[in-house]
Amino acid sequence: MKNIFKLITFITFLLTSLNASNPVESPMFDDIMKQLVGDQKYIFDKDIEIKVPSFADNPVQVPIYIDGKSVKNAKRMIVFADLNPIPIITDVELKDFYPVISTNIKVAQETPLRALILDENGLWHVGSANIKSNGGGCDISSQASNNYEFAQLMGQTKGKIYTKKDVLRIKASVYHPMETGLVFGNNEFYINKIDIKSDNVTLASFKTTAAISENPRLILESKKNIEDFKMTFYDTDGNEFDLEVK
Amino acid sequence: MRIILFTIVICNYLFSFDYKLEPIKISDNSYYFYGKKEYFSPQNGGNISNSAFIITNKSVIIIDTGTTVEYTKQAIKSIKKITNKPIKYIINTHHHPDHFLGNNAFKKDVKIYATTYTLNEIKNHGDLYITNMAHLIKDASYTTRLRIPTELLNKKSMKFDGYELEFYYLNGHTKDDLVILDRNTKTAYVSDLIFNERALATPHANFKKWIKSLEFMKNLDFKILLPGHGKVEYSKEVIVENIEYLKFIDDLLTNSANEGLDIFEILSEAEIPEKFKNYAMFEEEFERTIINHYPKYEREVRK
Repeated sequence: MKNIFKLITFITFLLTSLNASNPVESPMFDDIMKQLVGDQKYIFDKDIEIKVPSFADNPVQVPIYIDGKSVKNAKRMIVFADLNPIPIITDVELKDFYPVISTNIKVAQETPLRALILDENGLWHVGSANIKSNGGGCDISSQASNNYEFAQLMGQTKGKIYTKKDVLRIKASVYHPMETGLVFGNNEFYINKIDIKSDNVTLASFKTTAAISENPRLILESKKNIEDFKMTFYDTDGNEFDLEVK
Repeated sequence: MRIILFTIVICNYLFSFDYKLEPIKISDNSYYFYGKKEYFSPQNGGNISNSAFIITNKSVIIIDTGTTVEYTKQAIKSIKKITNKPIKYIINTHHHPDHFLGNNAFKKDVKIYATTYTLNEIKNHGDLYITNMAHLIKDASYTTRLRIPTELLNKKSMKFDGYELEFYYLNGHTKDDLVILDRNTKTAYVSDLIFNERALATPHANFKKWIKSLEFMKNLDFKILLPGHGKVEYSKEVIVENIEYLKFIDDLLTNSANEGLDIFEILSEAEIPEKFKNYAMFEEEFERTIINHYPKYEREVRK
């Protein structure tokens, strides 16, 4: 009798883990998923590593780190925060890059953070984490807008290549206010596209939104062993800022 | 019957928060109220930092006023049990909310001293701090209103009803940290430049300047040291330990930036000396420190 009971528990455990449910529930999740992936299939994947602060004190600069290397041959990665007025943070055509990103984002309130990673078979893997915060990050005008040095600094870029544990890592940053346009009197003004090329071949391409914090910083990881790269940041006013690293 | 009693107890608890303040004697005429080594919470009512008072021949000087007006009102009651001399002078050591938000508990004729920078920060961000406190500690903060310091501090020393105090204008924890030296009792009131057995809070810190200020403090002539957080000390060892902590953070951030690490890699992989790990609030403060300060170090590398 005991054994049967154990067996039943084991089977239910197997079934539930196969059909894992949403680890961080939110009222917006289904709608956003429908908008992003339509009827395509997705699963919740615990192996996608998402790191967020245990409490985000500063809602305009919340560091996030996503490592989805467990998804082999990933094609595309979308990062979004369910309860932000600007949910989508970035949408990446990965090409020669791993589904890895570290950057700072804004949060308007406590919100789940998701990483959607598309594998080679057309299945989306969803990683989740919860960001605890008092919020208020999207309706604050950027510090840059109130900074006299802003005009001189804007568009300045920096970058460097590191090798860490046999992975090639790129660090890059750019001065930009990343204005959301949600504050009365401030128009939206942010970087909406980033391209990374080496020898004129596109290695990865990012669509970005004002949910990324001002003066964006990025850590990315490349599959290819590159020695130099050119990164171009495009903003909503048609400016282009280049970063060349050798 | 028990339910009624219980409700009464709860109601009392809700209507005025009891800080249970007990002055601790540090010398013949000086006392301090010990703040818990915790983060702001409804349970502690924001009682997380030390405040002190000195009884002179004619009056009482108070150093820092805690996080809420309710706290300071109860502190005043507690002081009145010891002396009936009037409280005439208040000093705010720096602009963090756990050191000045009780200012409004005093009558209008009480003089409140602060440096220009501290005064301006209180003026410009004081209301924001009050809003934050309403979120963090709730009920206990609801009677708190802003009271901006009335007098500027810029002299090397001053006499308060004949009682002399020396001032040292240092920085590092914030852009302007006041150290008060009382030669009558050989006591240094060092505000938040020292955290005793509690992890250092760093939201406005500059580590290199902070270390410099601590090196300077080592040479001051005192026997008793009252930190902003943690227990009173009778040796200078605590200064050395704080310097070690700051150097550890500064080196960790510099090295991590040179290796190209991510914030979360530092948080999970850093080798932390045991004695720092045992500090109260270490995990919270360490995470906050790394998150707030690492971007600056990253920018330095890529110049």
